[in-house]
Amino acid sequence: MVARTLIAALLLLLAPQAMAQAAGPSVVIGMPLEPPNLDPTAGAAAATDEVVYANVFEGLTRIRRDGTVGPALATDWAVSADGLSWTFTLRPGVRFHDGTPFDADIVKFSLDRALAPDSANAARAQIAAISGVEVLDPLAVRIALSRPMADLPLLLGWGDLVMVAPGTAATNATNPVGTGPFRFAEWRKGDSVRLVRNPDYWGRPARVGQVVFRLVADAAAANAALLAGDVQAFPNFPAPETLPAIERDARFKVVVGSTEGETILAINNGKPPFDDVRVRRALAHAIDRRALIDGAMSGYGTPIGSHFPPHHPAYLDLTGRYPHDPAEARRLLAEAGYPDGFATTLKLPPVGYARRGGEVVAAQLAAVGIRAEIRNIEWAQWLDQVYKNRDYDLTIVSHTEPLDYDIYARPGYYFAYESQDFRDLIERLSRTPEEPGRTALLHDIQRTIAEDAVNVFLFQLPKLGVWDARVGGLWPDAPIQAVDVTELTFDGGAAAAERAGGGAGAFLLAPLVLLAGLAAWALRRHVSPVYLAGRLGSLALTLILATLVVFLLVEVLPGDPAAVMMGLNASPEALAALRAEFGLDGPIWQRYLAWIAGLVQGDLGVSYTYRVPVADLVAERLWVSLPLALYALVLTVLIALPVGILAAVQRERPTGAVLMGLTQVGLAVPNFWLGLLLVLVFAVGLGWVTAGGFPGWESGIGPALAALTLPALALALPQASILARVLRSALIDTLAEDYIRTARAKGLTWGQTLRRHALGNALIPVLTILGLQFSFLIAGGIIIETVFSLPGLGRLVFQAVSQRDLIVVKGVVVLLVFAVVLVTTIVDLLYTIADPRLRGTGGLGRAAA
Amino acid sequence: MSVDALPPRPARAASPGLVLGAALSAVFVVMALVGLVWTPHDAAVLDVSQRLQGPSGAHPFGTDHLGRDVLSLIVAGAWNSLAVSLVAVGIGIAAGVPLGLWAAAQGGWADEVLGRVNDIVFAFPAILLAVMITAAAGPGALNAIVAIGIFNIPVFARVARGSALPLWRREFVLAARVAGKGRLRISAEHILPNISSQLIVQGTIQFALGILAEAGLSYVGLGAQPPAASWGRMLNEAQTFYAAAPWLVIAPGLAIVLAVLGLSLLGDAARDLLDPRLRRR
Repeated sequence: MVARTLIAALLLLLAPQAMAQAAGPSVVIGMPLEPPNLDPTAGAAAATDEVVYANVFEGLTRIRRDGTVGPALATDWAVSADGLSWTFTLRPGVRFHDGTPFDADIVKFSLDRALAPDSANAARAQIAAISGVEVLDPLAVRIALSRPMADLPLLLGWGDLVMVAPGTAATNATNPVGTGPFRFAEWRKGDSVRLVRNPDYWGRPARVGQVVFRLVADAAAANAALLAGDVQAFPNFPAPETLPAIERDARFKVVVGSTEGETILAINNGKPPFDDVRVRRALAHAIDRRALIDGAMSGYGTPIGSHFPPHHPAYLDLTGRYPHDPAEARRLLAEAGYPDGFATTLKLPPVGYARRGGEVVAAQLAAVGIRAEIRNIEWAQWLDQVYKNRDYDLTIVSHTEPLDYDIYARPGYYFAYESQDFRDLIERLSRTPEEPGRTALLHDIQRTIAEDAVNVFLFQLPKLGVWDARVGGLWPDAPIQAVDVTELTFDGGAAAAERAGGGAGAFLLAPLVLLAGLAAWALRRHVSPVYLAGRLGSLALTLILATLVVFLLVEVLPGDPAAVMMGLNASPEALAALRAEFGLDGPIWQRYLAWIAGLVQGDLGVSYTYRVPVADLVAERLWVSLPLALYALVLTVLIALPVGILAAVQRERPTGAVLMGLTQVGLAVPNFWLGLLLVLVFAVGLGWVTAGGFPGWESGIGPALAALTLPALALALPQASILARVLRSALIDTLAEDYIRTARAKGLTWGQTLRRHALGNALIPVLTILGLQFSFLIAGGIIIETVFSLPGLGRLVFQAVSQRDLIVVKGVVVLLVFAVVLVTTIVDLLYTIADPRLRGTGGLGRAAA
Repeated sequence: MSVDALPPRPARAASPGLVLGAALSAVFVVMALVGLVWTPHDAAVLDVSQRLQGPSGAHPFGTDHLGRDVLSLIVAGAWNSLAVSLVAVGIGIAAGVPLGLWAAAQGGWADEVLGRVNDIVFAFPAILLAVMITAAAGPGALNAIVAIGIFNIPVFARVARGSALPLWRREFVLAARVAGKGRLRISAEHILPNISSQLIVQGTIQFALGILAEAGLSYVGLGAQPPAASWGRMLNEAQTFYAAAPWLVIAPGLAIVLAVLGLSLLGDAARDLLDPRLRRR
């Protein structure tokens, strides 16, 4: 009975998953950040727009590749003489992916939804002047304004204001349904989002059958994935230092374009000594932009002197206002009362330009006497500490929204720049939609910010596009946050066949049940009920204590998950609503009990960021982490057994000494470094295997195992060294026993003695170590999974910590702890079976200590 | 295994393991101390015009992406590895040894509770706890010390308990008890001196493991922060330069391997010296 249940569970685990095929070429696009959800109207996350804007969702208008406005779901529009009434004519015959027809009611629904008081829409403030949306006929709407808005068509082209259908608006976060040339197919959390061609598109159909947006966060992994052909295009390549090498490679194209990202050294103007303009100007004189761009961006980037993009017609070059002049900086500091400089902090978010730029900035500030202590923080902490609570001195960040100079006029904004003069300028600009006068005002705006040295303006963030030479149709610049793939072409025939397949479902607990079943089966025959009860009792106690520890540890993490989820511009009311939704507002003991109650039923809660059950997330990841750990375990044994036996048998000979030397080195090698070296040799150098990523089990056992081979090897070698040494010691001990001498004396050969008498007994301590190692391999893969871009549990929890997704963190950690405790218990029991002398005692843990 | 079964051992010269281990450890410690006051070049000075220079006479291990001398960074980074790992061992001994001694002296429920708590800490994936601690308190060398130190506590508690238990049945302890000494006093005066060799051996091994753990934490950005030099962070920063500058990947990794190798060889050799029973292995 038990055996049959176990087999059933095993079959469930191994069940193949469905694979959806798409016609036409498939292109994989690498992205540095994963979207928190797929609804562009629900927050300010650029990563969401980059996947779905224009591809899945369309607005009335759209921003084109040159930054101009063109028609989309509206064919044309007109404005009344007083500028307070706009009429949009809609495109006929458009349908959503689920068949819902697009008409004027949809427009009214979408805009009313964005304007609603409880809306989390990031553009709500910008469209606050819309006083009403009126349906004129099925293909015409009128938008009434409370004040003129010359840029309304531009705003309606933003990702925040795309058209959504009433029936699917609530589920767009996980299953986006739009009108665009691509349909959403699948989202593999932590790995990829897959879009397929919409055959019923109203306009020119997409030229590729499928586009996969693959998360490649790490600069090194991105480089490796590109070279390995795993990814065909990186619209924003995170490793500028590798571009010279890639440019020389005929297989790839490098297209350096512009973005709307002004990269600044932001200053807390409200905090002494930075409230003194002389100090801020001293900072500006202390920075050498050229050296900064060379050091942080490998030379890519245009210096700026104010908060304004250089490619805009109204740009004013103010980079000469504060030339790099350490002497002048020191003079200004002395004048402000800091002849010896001062100490301060520099908080850096986890993006390459900030982390690398921060080191250069700190060194340049040190040269004028300002000692800036660097503090690397996660995005969630940056949003919480710097952006929300203004708890910072200096920070480096890129502001990527188009023409966002108005942030300097916002009261309470994190720069703490409270200038009435500047607010007046912005007010006058809003009343000056056209020339003459507008350019002059834009110049004044740039000059004022520069003159007040609000921030140190560093450089315009470049768009470093890198793609396969066979890829065409991607945008060179980024006038908005979008990766428009509607004109994407690929003439490489069938590219790397991308996997498809549904989530692994709720088989989350199957492996654990399997383990528990194994234990029960083992116990039934060999261990007394009293011992069993005691062991299970202490197991339960351990698990309860563990949940308490995990819960308390996670609860003290700083950062507000609701704020992270809703992005930069969420209103306090919307945040409160979200907190209530996730039960973040109850007392701590209530939350603990609720969590435990769910845990017992296998319910780990719903992820903050992904908005899907944590159990599903974990189940998906388990499919990578568990096979990886098993694979590594097999390799560990396969390597350790011969090495350990040989080293024991040959212990007095050079072979034994050499083997022991090798295992000694193996113990000293960090597994992530080993991983890096393996990638260098086998993926980059020899090209035998891919450098990272996971093709999924649907692509076949072979490719999947191939992708896991290097990571498993990197995990296994250090562990094999430990195991080989344990095995050797145990064998040497056993070989010295009297019964071995007896066996030899009765005429058995060495090999027979080893096999029949020595090995079995020597395996007892080996088994112990093996149990501990499996736990380590499951949990310890976190770094290896990062090195190789594997979508496993380690990466899940790492991302969850940085996204403040506390529910996921708690779930994964508790699960891993459970798994480790269970495995340890099972090993304990197996040990008892192997060595009956231990049954009366507390088992292995006590006896071996 | 009975002792009289062992053949008489000739007095041996120091084993190659001991020599190599001591030499590597000495280089590591001297490098860490020297690095505090002197490095071949100033490791903090950025010279972007000199970035990514290959190995040369002026820069034996080349320069990094910000034009810093890699050899100087390695010399300067040794202190970080040494300090973090050593303090973490200190935490483990300071908290773990008294706990282990107490459990051995008390037995019964105390022993059971300690065993259980030890199990929980062991059951915690170390890197996850470190991630959680550093996420809560912010990344930095201090938090790396705490994270690694916590995991050293049960290790030393186990070693102390395991080594102390058999001593409680020995005659000299019995004599002390007869003399009216309390359990605490016996633990401190009679047990502790007799388990110090095991603690030193374990300390050396944990020292080596701590360097590995620190490198891992720094590699994922949770260890020492810039401008402090750190081997793990050097590897992290070097990853994308491997095509253009492989020395950036190789040099810090070798430094870690050699330091850990030296200390673990030394630990093994020390165990052989202090515990003759194990010499045959």
